[in-house]
Amino acid sequence: MIAIIKFPGTTCETDVYKALVEAGVPAIIVKYKDFDPDKYKGVILPGGFSFGDYLRAGSIAASTETMKRVKEMAEEGKPVIGICNGFQILVESGLLKGALLPNLKLRFISKWVYLKVIRADTILTKDLENKVIKMPIAHAEGRYYVDDIEYAKTHMVLQYSDENGNINENVNPNGSLLNIASIANDEGNVIGMMPHPERASFKLTSIDGSTDGLLLLRRLSKWV
Amino acid sequence: MGINLLQVEMDEIRKRLNREPDEAEWRVIDAVWSEHCSYKSSKIFLKSFSMESPNVIMGITDWQDAGAVDIGNGWAIVVKVESHNHPSAVDPFNGAATGVGGIIRDIISKGAKPIALLDMIRVGNLKIRKNVWLLKNIIAGIAAYGNSIGVPVVGGELSFDDTYNDNPIVDVAAIGVVKKDRIKPSIVNRPGLKLVLAGLTGIDGLGGASFASRKLSGENEIGAVQIADPFAGKIILDVTLDIADKVEAIKDLGGGGLAVAVTEIANGFGAIVDIEKIPLRVKDMDPSDIIISETQERMLYAVDEKNVEEVCEAFKQYEYPCSVIGEITKDPIIRFRYHNKDLVALPSDLLLNPLRFIWPIRRIKKSNEKTTVQLPPLKDAISVVLSHPDLVSKEWVYSQFDYEVNTSTVIKPGHADSAVIALPNGKLLAVKGDANPDLCYEDAYECGKGIVAEAYRNLASVGAKGIVAVDHLQFGDPKKPEVYYTFVEAIRGIGEATRFFNIPIVGGKVSFYNENSRGNPIKPTPLIVMAGLIQGKLLKNNIEDGLDIVLLGYTHGELGGSLFSKMFNISAEVPKARLQEDLLSSELVIDAINEEKITFAKDVNRGGLIATLFNVIVHGYGIEIDSKSILSDSDNTLETLFSENGGRFIVLTNEPEWIIDRAKSRGVVASIIGKVNRNSSLLKIDDTIYNLDNLVKNYFNFLEEVTNNG
Repeated sequence: MIAIIKFPGTTCETDVYKALVEAGVPAIIVKYKDFDPDKYKGVILPGGFSFGDYLRAGSIAASTETMKRVKEMAEEGKPVIGICNGFQILVESGLLKGALLPNLKLRFISKWVYLKVIRADTILTKDLENKVIKMPIAHAEGRYYVDDIEYAKTHMVLQYSDENGNINENVNPNGSLLNIASIANDEGNVIGMMPHPERASFKLTSIDGSTDGLLLLRRLSKWV
Repeated sequence: MGINLLQVEMDEIRKRLNREPDEAEWRVIDAVWSEHCSYKSSKIFLKSFSMESPNVIMGITDWQDAGAVDIGNGWAIVVKVESHNHPSAVDPFNGAATGVGGIIRDIISKGAKPIALLDMIRVGNLKIRKNVWLLKNIIAGIAAYGNSIGVPVVGGELSFDDTYNDNPIVDVAAIGVVKKDRIKPSIVNRPGLKLVLAGLTGIDGLGGASFASRKLSGENEIGAVQIADPFAGKIILDVTLDIADKVEAIKDLGGGGLAVAVTEIANGFGAIVDIEKIPLRVKDMDPSDIIISETQERMLYAVDEKNVEEVCEAFKQYEYPCSVIGEITKDPIIRFRYHNKDLVALPSDLLLNPLRFIWPIRRIKKSNEKTTVQLPPLKDAISVVLSHPDLVSKEWVYSQFDYEVNTSTVIKPGHADSAVIALPNGKLLAVKGDANPDLCYEDAYECGKGIVAEAYRNLASVGAKGIVAVDHLQFGDPKKPEVYYTFVEAIRGIGEATRFFNIPIVGGKVSFYNENSRGNPIKPTPLIVMAGLIQGKLLKNNIEDGLDIVLLGYTHGELGGSLFSKMFNISAEVPKARLQEDLLSSELVIDAINEEKITFAKDVNRGGLIATLFNVIVHGYGIEIDSKSILSDSDNTLETLFSENGGRFIVLTNEPEWIIDRAKSRGVVASIIGKVNRNSSLLKIDDTIYNLDNLVKNYFNFLEEVTNNG
């Protein structure tokens, strides 16, 4: 069973749940105070505004007891996936390096983007190396930055690209370092990503009928 | 802060009470009797709307926060529209944000889950820097609130006119879903229930209802604006839906604060509220300020005593304040007590029955000065009309909204004339909001009919049939006879059209006193939000090279109220809303969608036929048309291309004969007027080619550029 954690201001927990059902991955939504790490094989921190995020996205959630328990799971090698605000919580809590700064345009950006899979050694991206996938982003603070460029190069999982997989500034929606949309830890079990795979998991609501989100989420099924 | 009551109202109150109210009582009566809360100038006319239909579960009976209609399989939708015009003019970020919060709470008052928001925004001329600032902050406020609570903004309108230079119009509509048998009332039906208040009360929004019921003074009125706290709003949303089954009635704290909420939820019964039990955000508030404060993110519940603990426990989990502040009484007096002394004790009957007014009505005499300006060459007309900000891409706006949260947005903003959302019962719901102030300025009656017809066509263009509507009527000072005339005319038009289409109006709002700093009223701005179900197939627009362009409906050379006549200052005949043409052509479009005969449909409206065709061109295509094939009562190309008369659609198809045959058999006229080609940005009309490259660039870049420089 995968736990989808709901903080008070989380908005995407039901969407992630629906997408995991679609992907055939058993999952349950758990309120953050009720989270017991021993009960679950993995955890997803979904998007939203965990505690209103007036200070800095994810900062208050990062200091909760819940995140201490999530850290224990990460250390045990279980999948820990942060999507959007979940990614922000992962970097704020030190589970991933770097920071998510305000978008260069200084405003919320909601749009579908192409992503090139760089690392195929993570839990979500196995066998997908160099594949170009499509899903939406929706965030105000998604500009990934880290002061260690080598770390960035070796840990990035997805880069914003064009539909042919070319990576350049024109297709960088938020000003991220190296067009980074997702990074993971060394082991590839802790993954943070700004794009929303759950929103690219249903033919009906996808912009063009594609369901690339399922390519990633389905890979969780062997962990449950 | 003064009292806004008229002398005749104050006299009436003294007479009904048989005594002089105390100061706190005057303030409560002022809040409850404000135009904003009591509809004193409008109620009589609003009663003329058709509110009944077999699928209406809850209409606009008095004091319900929103209406509801049956959508099958045991589910209902709740629809509501509101505005925050005055607050947005003073503090655009908080004004617009709290508008979203308020409408969300109206929806959850019915126990319904909000699933979609629409924003209809009108601001002044963007050449004035203040208007750019207003626009940016209005959009940022909506985004901050809507995104944080996780309800997608799926559509809306953005348009510009000098008439809104000092007074932007910020409308927000919301749709919610609820199991039919779980809809909550906003009024109680028995005494003895406890009144439970969630949220802190502060000093923001003091006299807000009264503020919205008069003209903007231009002085510092920031204290009348409520401050938005979307995180608190999200907690209120989640918890209210969790506990809805445990409460008897739910009431949003909107205009007039507790004064209005307590009076309305009691619905003729009485209530006792102990002011010192109300959790405060600020210490030492004046007790009468507490009663009328409009602090957001508060909710009032009427709860059976045995459930009180469970209700407040749900809030405690989020460390959110929740307390019993009083109870519903049999004695029909609304009492606010402070340390066991009545500060306010007013009969429910007095509060619930303000004086209703019918102000003098005077028909506007249009001075028949036909401007004899020379008509522009077609090339200039195309360029001027298509570069108008009303017609540019609104991506700059909707990309700031989290329009896909809930994974239920089937047709995204900007992709069609209506948004489409997937419902929990598997059905698809289309929604659209429409207004046309330029037309309403010319003829409010035809415009009232026209906006209903337009909304109906917009829904049809994705395959949906309208089933329910809410209205929002926005005008200047109702005591000005010419303004009141347009108000009454608009109501007559809307009422007639909704009866014709058999669409009940289940809710609405009136906003008066929208005037600029020189005391000139805004152009009449009634607005309709319509929702409909897709009963067969859904059309997601798709354009291909070689498709035939078919025009459904007859073109009338009526340029009155059109964008063309506005830009070139030409007075002309106003388009009549020929509702049967709208109905028949809409049915034809739905048929064609269900039989998969068309790949693209768009109704002809703002900017006329040219603007509709431009919508194809901006997707990277070219178009050639033969102007003589447009079935029209005018030989003037400017009239046929720029008239905004209703009843018409452009569809793209590779089976034009099927469309034309089917049209004939249904009493609709239709003709092939041209073809789509690969010659990107080129518009060929008869023998002349117009290169629209710069207009296409302007279409995509205008809002980004104007807001970057603003």
